[in-house]
Amino acid sequence: MKTKVLNSIFIALLTVGLASCNLEENPYGFYSDENFYQTVDDADAALMYAYNALTFLEYSRGIFYIGECASETVDLKSGEDANNPGSQALDEWQISDNANNQTLQLYFKYCYIAINRANAVIYNVENSTAIDSTDKRRLLGEAYFLRGYNYFNLVKVFGLVPIQKQMVQTIDQTSPNMATSMDEMYDFMIGDLKYAEANLTYTQKAGRANKAAAEGMLAKLYLTAASSKESGVAYYSDMTESVDTLYADAALYAKKVLDASQSGECPFGMSDSLKDIYDVTKPNGPEQVFIMSMDRTGQKEGNYSKIGMLFMPYNNGNNFYVKSGSSTWPSHYGYEVFPTTTAFYDSFADIDRRKTELMNTKMYNADGSVEATSAYPFTLKYTDPIQVTSSTGDKSSVKPYLLRFTDIALTYVEAKGYDDGEWLAKVRERAGLAPLGTMSKSDFRDAVVQERAWEFAFEGQRLYDLRRKAMVTKKDSKAAASGVTEAQAAFYPIPQREIDLNSNL
Amino acid sequence: MRKLLTIAFMLSLFIPGLSAQTLKITGTVKDEAGTPVVGAAIIVEGTSNGVLSDSKGVFSLNAKMGQNLVCSCMGFLNSTLKVDSDRADFTLKEDVQMLEQTIVVGYGGVKKGDLTGSVANVKMDKLAAIPNTNSAISNLEGRIAGVQIINSGQGPASDPKVIIRGFSSINGTQSPLVVVDGFPLGEGSDLKQINPADIVDLVVLKDASSTSIYGSRGANGVIMVTTKRAEKGTSHINFSQQTVVSQFNSKLNIWRDAALMAQLGNESRSNAGQNPLYVGKKDNGVYYPSVSEIESGTWPYYTKWDNIIMRVPVTSTTSLGISGASDRVIYNLSAVYYNDKGVYIKDNYQKFSVKLDVDYKYSENFSIRSSNIIYRDWRNVNNSMDVGRNPLWPVYDDNGDYYRASETDYGNPMALTDKVENKNSGFDAISFLQSTWKITDWLTWTGQLNYKYGATVTDKYNPKVYTEDGTFNNGHAYIGNWLGQTMIPETYLTYDHAFGKHRINAVGGYSYDYDMARSSELNSYDFVNESLQNENIGAGDPEKNVISNGYSESKLVSFYGKVNYSYDNRYLLTGTFRRDGSSKFGANNKWANFPSVAFAWKLHNEDFMKDVPEISEAKIRVSYGLSGNQGISPYQTLSQYGTETYYDDGSWKTAIGPGYIIGYYGSNSRFKYWGGIPNKDLKWETTSQFDLGLDFSMFEGRYGLTFDWYRKNTYDLLRESYLSLSSGYDKMWVNDGDVLNQGIEVTLNANFIRTKDMNFNATFIFSRNRNKVMSLGNATAAGLNTDPNTGMQYEFTGSALTYEPVGMVNILAVGQPMYVFYGYKTDGIIQSDAEGIAAGLTGDEAKAGEIKYVDINHDGVVDEKDRTVIGNPNPDFTASLNLSFSYKKFDASLFLNGVFGNDVLYQYGMTNAAAEPKRWTIDNPNNDYPSLRNNRQTKVSEWFVRDGSYVRIQEVNLGYNFGRLFDSIENIKLYMNISNLYTFTSFPGYDPEVGVDGIYWGGYPRFRKYSLGLNITF
Repeated sequence: MKTKVLNSIFIALLTVGLASCNLEENPYGFYSDENFYQTVDDADAALMYAYNALTFLEYSRGIFYIGECASETVDLKSGEDANNPGSQALDEWQISDNANNQTLQLYFKYCYIAINRANAVIYNVENSTAIDSTDKRRLLGEAYFLRGYNYFNLVKVFGLVPIQKQMVQTIDQTSPNMATSMDEMYDFMIGDLKYAEANLTYTQKAGRANKAAAEGMLAKLYLTAASSKESGVAYYSDMTESVDTLYADAALYAKKVLDASQSGECPFGMSDSLKDIYDVTKPNGPEQVFIMSMDRTGQKEGNYSKIGMLFMPYNNGNNFYVKSGSSTWPSHYGYEVFPTTTAFYDSFADIDRRKTELMNTKMYNADGSVEATSAYPFTLKYTDPIQVTSSTGDKSSVKPYLLRFTDIALTYVEAKGYDDGEWLAKVRERAGLAPLGTMSKSDFRDAVVQERAWEFAFEGQRLYDLRRKAMVTKKDSKAAASGVTEAQAAFYPIPQREIDLNSNL
Repeated sequence: MRKLLTIAFMLSLFIPGLSAQTLKITGTVKDEAGTPVVGAAIIVEGTSNGVLSDSKGVFSLNAKMGQNLVCSCMGFLNSTLKVDSDRADFTLKEDVQMLEQTIVVGYGGVKKGDLTGSVANVKMDKLAAIPNTNSAISNLEGRIAGVQIINSGQGPASDPKVIIRGFSSINGTQSPLVVVDGFPLGEGSDLKQINPADIVDLVVLKDASSTSIYGSRGANGVIMVTTKRAEKGTSHINFSQQTVVSQFNSKLNIWRDAALMAQLGNESRSNAGQNPLYVGKKDNGVYYPSVSEIESGTWPYYTKWDNIIMRVPVTSTTSLGISGASDRVIYNLSAVYYNDKGVYIKDNYQKFSVKLDVDYKYSENFSIRSSNIIYRDWRNVNNSMDVGRNPLWPVYDDNGDYYRASETDYGNPMALTDKVENKNSGFDAISFLQSTWKITDWLTWTGQLNYKYGATVTDKYNPKVYTEDGTFNNGHAYIGNWLGQTMIPETYLTYDHAFGKHRINAVGGYSYDYDMARSSELNSYDFVNESLQNENIGAGDPEKNVISNGYSESKLVSFYGKVNYSYDNRYLLTGTFRRDGSSKFGANNKWANFPSVAFAWKLHNEDFMKDVPEISEAKIRVSYGLSGNQGISPYQTLSQYGTETYYDDGSWKTAIGPGYIIGYYGSNSRFKYWGGIPNKDLKWETTSQFDLGLDFSMFEGRYGLTFDWYRKNTYDLLRESYLSLSSGYDKMWVNDGDVLNQGIEVTLNANFIRTKDMNFNATFIFSRNRNKVMSLGNATAAGLNTDPNTGMQYEFTGSALTYEPVGMVNILAVGQPMYVFYGYKTDGIIQSDAEGIAAGLTGDEAKAGEIKYVDINHDGVVDEKDRTVIGNPNPDFTASLNLSFSYKKFDASLFLNGVFGNDVLYQYGMTNAAAEPKRWTIDNPNNDYPSLRNNRQTKVSEWFVRDGSYVRIQEVNLGYNFGRLFDSIENIKLYMNISNLYTFTSFPGYDPEVGVDGIYWGGYPRFRKYSLGLNITF
């Protein structure tokens, strides 16, 4: 009897396991599809994650390695290719192995990382029952903006790309279809940005999207399409809409921001002082429509910025002072990755304040005496005096603009084909230059593009202006020397890894 | 069966004599060596009358004249005597080749002669004289064919690497499953909690037929550890002490001639176009005396760092055990204290464990057993010191402070010894409860509940001044906590039945394995006062605290069964099956099946072999089956989000979303790999193994041969695969890849002399394994490189060397063994600049005195396209020879172990104190050593590849059994042992026994260990 009791106890003990043989895994200590997106706070954190993708150095530096370095404005430090493989090929327009160019591949990847993060917000917020409609509009507005923004970055660099419309949750979703035409590409991006426009307000927050950013991006999209089609750029030339309609659409959306600015409906406008635009202590100046948010208190690159160091001279690793007009302030030394070309420097008018106030060749001591001379004139757009005075080392608060008001203004006049509202005149006036005389629409548009080269110098825009005007080889001597055609220069190839591993390509 | 008889006879002891004609017979039972046999059963044939021999082998019982007495005992052949007087002395012959020895395999034991799989065992008492290390598994080195044990670490608490029949995984574990008394403790070689003196037997399961019963954990083989149980009717107290003193087997290769060091250092810098250091000037704040200052003795300091920071390593093991067995209770209580003082001062390790086993027979058919181990260890880590530190630096400066050559000199070993805290301590409890219910004669129910608990605490403090981390952070205190639990309830039925010529032994059961581990880490920085080190971690700057925690949990549910069928003791058939369900597997692949089948034919039991009595055993074995490797960490099949921060309009916000950083690459690790996409199909790695074996012995088992040939194919290897860039992820885990191991194993045993007083035995073991990577999966998705000259697809593995040579060494390459070296061919030393240019070299590398790399593709330049496979760290074969000899109370043994044909990458081979003077110079042009050049970025090349073959006189052992010296003492055994007496090798470094990647890391010479041991049995 006792034996039986004992046996029963043991059998009971040992069969406990059987009953609990549930092989499901529950995540612990990390967030996952299973335990995230429960509340509006979760959704906000997820939206932050989508913005955060823009700040990784693979993406944020890529803006300059591609958009600036492949144009006539700057050269590339020799040996830089070891740090950022592929950058030398971009600078020199050696295009044969660009499908395997790591800098391009990283840029491509990070666009999609950002897109996936935005898709995650869209997918989860749209399906959420815990988030009210006001929050939904705000969250979705920003998420759709980000998706559109990132796709536009892809289109500018690669032309037609695979369109990933959903959050990637399974392997089956990792092979999105290629866009079949620029119309399809544009319909998708415009849909996203129009949704953002409809759901966002003109509130200005450093590092966040708003209605003006959506309208400004729409204007830029249309302008890119219009001028590209006009210039006969591949894919764009097949677009259904006429060049004039596209120009009109560009003007329409740019005008919305300009009108809102003039009516006081939005806080954006043209800064009176050139220097103030790039003052790291004033991230919410009127020019700031959309900016990459970085701060020297961050823990890793991307959270803090090293963008300025790409442009500043090395000076043997010693910090120095910079001087603009009468003011002097301390600056961190740089890596001189992007030395300004002499030709570009010389293209500025001698009295152009964008040259006299925003560029310098000298490095100074605290007392204003010259300490050393840089091998090239460097831009003063990216300095952080507090970075040096508070000894945060390499960590700066330099924030590159992703969209600034002047860009929208110049987009508007270029789209119109004449200086409607005298926005161009204002830009030139701020630079200390006289207005341009009257000229044909076509000449005017070319003049605006040239004005953009000076105005947005070192802001990662030049290559895309050259491409949409089909004048890469005309303007960039290295492109001309490499023998690439304008058609070859118009887009970079889709990275080989994408072609190899996306089964739908 | 015998046990039952024994029990029956023990009971009959109490029955008084039967009839008047009865004689009282006394006698002794001895073995052939004359040693009394304890516990032999003596029975009057055809009756239930019997007794057991006592501790002196003496018995007495009543029997009639003319009756037969049958004496039987485990391990001996039965012996029969006719009663013709009142004296009956038995001399028992050992059972031929110990055929009846029971070998513990998965879920039950099998008589050795009935094994159908490839299983080998070593009795621990044969290894008792070997110096104890942290894990008893170390002592198996060279003892079992097909088992490669690499004891590359010599410091305290180091464990060996165990590879059974080659590498069968790349990213999963390569280590076997260790099972102690039926409790699967885990994969690895860590057996620190088990007192070697408690171990009876180590059994290694090698082929699929024996490992498949462990299913998804069996692919790397299984080591079964059986601990002691007292024999019935005995009671013993055992005391043992082993003390090991070590010395280096060669001299330290460090600078003793400081002037020469300085002179060559200057030469090296001059050749690099740099200013020489030793010129009596300050460089970067450090004063370097000139060569003449050193030679003349003007420079007052000369430090022999080895005298300062090294000592004679001493290891001591003290063990005490009490064991006994009565009718109903078997118990064993043992305690062991192990103290290992490493070669570096204050590099210490101590452990203490107590084990208590109790078996209790509740009734004839129901018994319970419990085994409990309580274990503690303490480790003070002080082993990251540089014995090669510049001898010109003193220990202390003129103020009595620790000397630092500069503000950034973090290498003063005394400062590190005294000021850095780095210690950990652990507590483990291992326990199991087992109950056995004999339902019928042929059906037994066994239930076992296994439980293991482990906890460690790690304490660290890096001071402000003497460490880089501490200086940077103004003091860094750390506390790390870890605890883990394993619980395995398990139950199975055993069916054992013989009818006619058939015998069936079958087991069926299930187990549930629950594993959990959690950890927390506390870091605090910036201390005002550091006298408390990490005792008050709250004293750091609270804003700089870094805390983290982790948790993982996994479950494995298994159903298993096996059937052993034997017909007429001639044909044996074994089938096993296991079905595993694991929480680690993807949702689409939760369950895995692992079948196996084996067949053995005992030729020696065939009629036609009866005419060849010389052949005592001839058995052919064939087996095939599947086993697995779980490899995967928990949570790999779930989506995983990342956490970042974003500076949102002037304040930091937490950012959370899909994808997280799983790795870094590129210059300064600036680029990130993103993972976190779930693979719902992820599953185990599968190994299919075919084994053909032969067991053969002659002359009553005195000469034996065991031969095995195996072919082991592992597929569905766990690998990382790239995803399309547009997915937003870089990589995920997939099952893609294939590796093959093929080999032969030979064990020869010869018992040349076997007489009462003298015994001489020799065992020769030979193993040869050929490993080959068959596939690394989809080349594009895996991101494989292609060798430009051969088209070979490969990827680098391991980590990059940073000094000499610089770069990655090992590759995984399709068609090659795992971990082969990839680099440049060399052709001696360049003798003239012209020769260098002609060889396709450029810049400094083309100069006279440089290594002449070979332009193997003849394109006129030496570049990365000229790399090829330059070495293989896997041995061609390993072999060992054990000779053991005993004469009366003396015993002696000699054990030689050898590894042949493996290559070792001789890191730092050019810039050590022995090599530098042989450098190439204009006055000493040679073809062996390049010139000294401080800024040389030495490529991974053939120059560094050296033959790692060696033969070691691994153990020399001499013992003496005093026997019964005093009444109360049953035996005293004294032994001495020398480990690693001498190593025959051409390898120029300290020792060629390095890790599986073949990379030599310097360190210090191998220990020659002298041990003295004493065992007393009361």
